[in-house]
This record gives sequence, C-alpha cells and structure tokens, in this order.
Amino acid sequence: MSDLLSFQRRFASALENPGLVPAAHPTLRRAIRVHRNTAMKAAQDALADNYPVVRALVGEEAFAACAAGYAEANPPCDPRLCIYGRQFDAFLSGYVPFGSLPWLAGMARLEWLHIEALVAADNRALSSTSGQIGVDTRLSLHPAVRMLAYDAPVASLWLAHQPWAAAGAIERVEWQPEVALVTRPAHKVIVMVADPGMAAFLSACERGESLGDAARTADEAGGDVAQIFAALIAAGAFLKLEWRNR
Amino acid sequence: MTAGLGFKLQHFAEALTARADGLWFEVHAENYMVDGGPRLAALMALRERHAVSLHGVGLSIVSADPPSADYLRRLQMLAERVSPAIMSDHLAWQKWGGTHHSDFLPFPRTREALGFAADNLSRVQDLLGRPILVENPSLYMDVSGHEMSETEFLIELAFLSGCGLLVDVNNVFVSASNLGFSADDYIDALPAALVGEIHVAGHSPDGDPNSSLIIDSHGAPVSDPVWRLYERLVGRIGARPTLIERDTDIPAFADLMAERAHAHALIRATEGTHV
Repeated sequence: MSDLLSFQRRFASALENPGLVPAAHPTLRRAIRVHRNTAMKAAQDALADNYPVVRALVGEEAFAACAAGYAEANPPCDPRLCIYGRQFDAFLSGYVPFGSLPWLAGMARLEWLHIEALVAADNRALSSTSGQIGVDTRLSLHPAVRMLAYDAPVASLWLAHQPWAAAGAIERVEWQPEVALVTRPAHKVIVMVADPGMAAFLSACERGESLGDAARTADEAGGDVAQIFAALIAAGAFLKLEWRNR
Repeated sequence: MTAGLGFKLQHFAEALTARADGLWFEVHAENYMVDGGPRLAALMALRERHAVSLHGVGLSIVSADPPSADYLRRLQMLAERVSPAIMSDHLAWQKWGGTHHSDFLPFPRTREALGFAADNLSRVQDLLGRPILVENPSLYMDVSGHEMSETEFLIELAFLSGCGLLVDVNNVFVSASNLGFSADDYIDALPAALVGEIHVAGHSPDGDPNSSLIIDSHGAPVSDPVWRLYERLVGRIGARPTLIERDTDIPAFADLMAERAHAHALIRATEGTHV
C-alpha cells in the first residue's frame, strides 16, 4: 500500500474512533477531535437546514442529538451537503427516542422530496391547456414533481409549520391519511394536499395514461376534473409538450 | 476585483443590488452542482451583476483516486454556466472508503502525495481548460513523514500542474499558531507570481479548556494579527482579489460590507504603491 493510502486509512479510522488515539498523545487526540467535530458539525448543520419541520416538531436539542446519530450512522458520501440526508426518514423510523411520533418518518420523507424538488432540472412547465392538448394527449410530469401518500396528514402539518401559516393552524390539522404534492412553479417549491381525485389524475398521467383516461380515473375518485387540471397546470405539474423528449 | 464576500442566499436581494467598487462574490461550488432550481437561478442572477468565484470544498485533491466522473461533469457544467472569474479548491483530502469528510484533512507532504495531487489537478484543469487556485489548509496536528514544507509543496505543485495559489492568511496564522512555526516566514516564502487570490477570515480559541489550539471557525471578524499578515503579503506581492470569509454567526449584509470596505481600502492603497 502507498504511504498516502496507509496514512489516510489510519487517519480515517482515528476519525471514526477518536477514543483509539493513545491518551499519551493528548495534542494528537484533541486535533483528531477538532477534525472530527468540523466534519460532523457540517453534516449536522446540513441536516438541520434540510429538515426544518422535523426540527421544529422535536425541538432543537432533540434534533441535534438525533442528527449526531444520523451523521454517525450515515456519514456524507457526497461533497454536496446541500443534498445530505437522503436516508433520514428510514433512520427516524428506527429512532427510539421519537417512538411516540411514528409519523415523523413521513414528515422527513416529505422534506426530502422538497429538497429533490428544489434541485430538480429547470425544464419548462406546461402553462396553458389550449393548443395541441386533447383527450389522447399523454402529459409528462415536470422533473420537480413529487407525490407522497402517507397515513398521517404530513402535508397539512408541513403547511401549518411554515412561517406564513395562520395562528392555530397546527391544532386544526385533521388526523387522516393524505397525499402530499410537491411542485416548483416559477422557481418556488410548493407543497399542497392533493385530494383523491387530483392524486388519481396525476398518478394516471405518471403511468403514461392519456388525459381522457386520467380524467376518467379522477372522476371515479370523485374529483372535479376541470378544476383538478387547472390546479395542476397552475402548480407547474406538467412538462411543456416540446420538452417531453429532450 | 478588489475585496469580495462569500455569497449567502439570505443576502440575495442586498447582494444583487449592492454597488461598490471592485465588489465580487464567492460561492462554494458544490452547493450549486445540481440540475437546476431557485438557488442556481439566484447564482445566475448574481453573476449578471458581479464577478463570481467558484470555490470548491470537495475535490479531495490529495487522494490516490481521481475525482469521480459525476463530480467532474457537474463542476464542468457549473463552470460553463457561471463563467467564474476564479476557480479554487483546497490542498487536502476528504474522501475515504465511500465517506466524504467535510473538512480539510492533513497528510504527509511526500513526493508521492505531490504526484497524486498534481495528477488530480491536471485532470480537472485539462477538463475545465483553466487553472485552479489551491488553498493552504488550517493545520491542527504535526503529521510525521513530511519531505517538504507546505510552501515548498505548493510551489512544486504549481510547477507540476500549472495551478495557482489561493493564500488563506487566516489559515497560515492558525497553522503557525497550532504547529509553532513562523507565519511571517511562511508568507515571505510565497512567490508573487503564483498567488491569484487571498482569503481572510476570523478564528476562535478551541472550546476545550485544556487545548491551546485555535480553530479556523469562519465565525468571527478578521483579527488584527491576520490583517497585519495580510498587509505583509500584499505589501510584498501587490494587490489580489481578497475574500472576507464568514460561514457561521453570519452578521447583517451591511456589517459584512463594512468589513469588506476595510480590505478594499487596503487594496487600493497597495495598488498606489505597486505601479
């Protein structure tokens, strides 16, 4: 093994287990701690940035302890810390201290989808229903669109935790299963609750069904198709036709 | 480009409309190495108004493995989009066994390490078609096995790869204090022709009361000894684009602009004496 590789192997293992550095070398021990702290803090800060609602729900102190556990178990593998925390929902499902909030993993999932939407490609969204669109048209979803069906109202809870939410919004959240829809019209990520008709319509489009078939599915789910379609267009959910094959 | 600031998204509106002689902005390249979205759009809007520098924190120059194809592709795409005035990264390593350690880790400065670093830099520079400036890291421990000093290593690296240097004066101060060498001697050993940019930043004492280390925290205003080292450097080599780095406890934009005005005045005064 090269000298550099053998040094890096020993250094990386000391970073993982700073306790293994001999106590006879206190300066070295402290330096390893400093390096470890810097890397861990960067990961934990990134996680805190990417999961603001989970953080608000559990409180800063509890989140910090949980983030330290996550960063230990799932250290960054990509230098782009702006997209750190992909497995946080799975980690939360098994995180005992938050056992009384089993739906927290769903909130983490939604916040991750928010990050994915934030950094998705800038393809143009379909902005009008006129033109070449008919019942046979198959629309593609915009790359920033994400959907999450969950057995707790995570989208409503997310909305209630935004700075612009009305006072008392959290208390008024009705506890029921929900489909969350994440889109990014005009460079701003939005989260909304998709009613069953809208969720059915969008899922049908995602499966590649024609607008006519998607409308039938939505209608069967009890939705007002014209209203649903207009809301999805306004939310930038579909790709502009010319962008489909790019 | 005189004195620049690190660009923070929360200062977007103020940064966009700020008007000051020689003002420029630096961003961490990795934060924008994504497919699209509002953050990238904010950077594109910023670069319409101000010169921008892409400062990498993840190239892991001193690694036996070259940077990943995905990393290089994204860096190249970003560079094409932004047309940055300057591109840079650090003399350090971060990746090991699939983990990215978000810090600038030390290594023995051997001929072997120099070869790896020069190969990695050449690969990136060939792809980008431009030189990268390499920044000296903050050191906290004395690694054994060095075959050359850090300045000798950087000069050799520039000779082998064609890279330039980004001199972080605060890092020189921190390393010199932690490892017990002369910061003045280090500054005096840097060849003027290689230096393309300078960083100044604040540092903090280690939180551990038993430790005498000082930490490159980027969380405090630039200290007086760092300004003195800075003046020593530019007094000898002349003015260079200078970044005020601040990454934690970020003050109001106006406060950053005031600190920046100090650096700007020093640079203009230096230019007056180097014609």
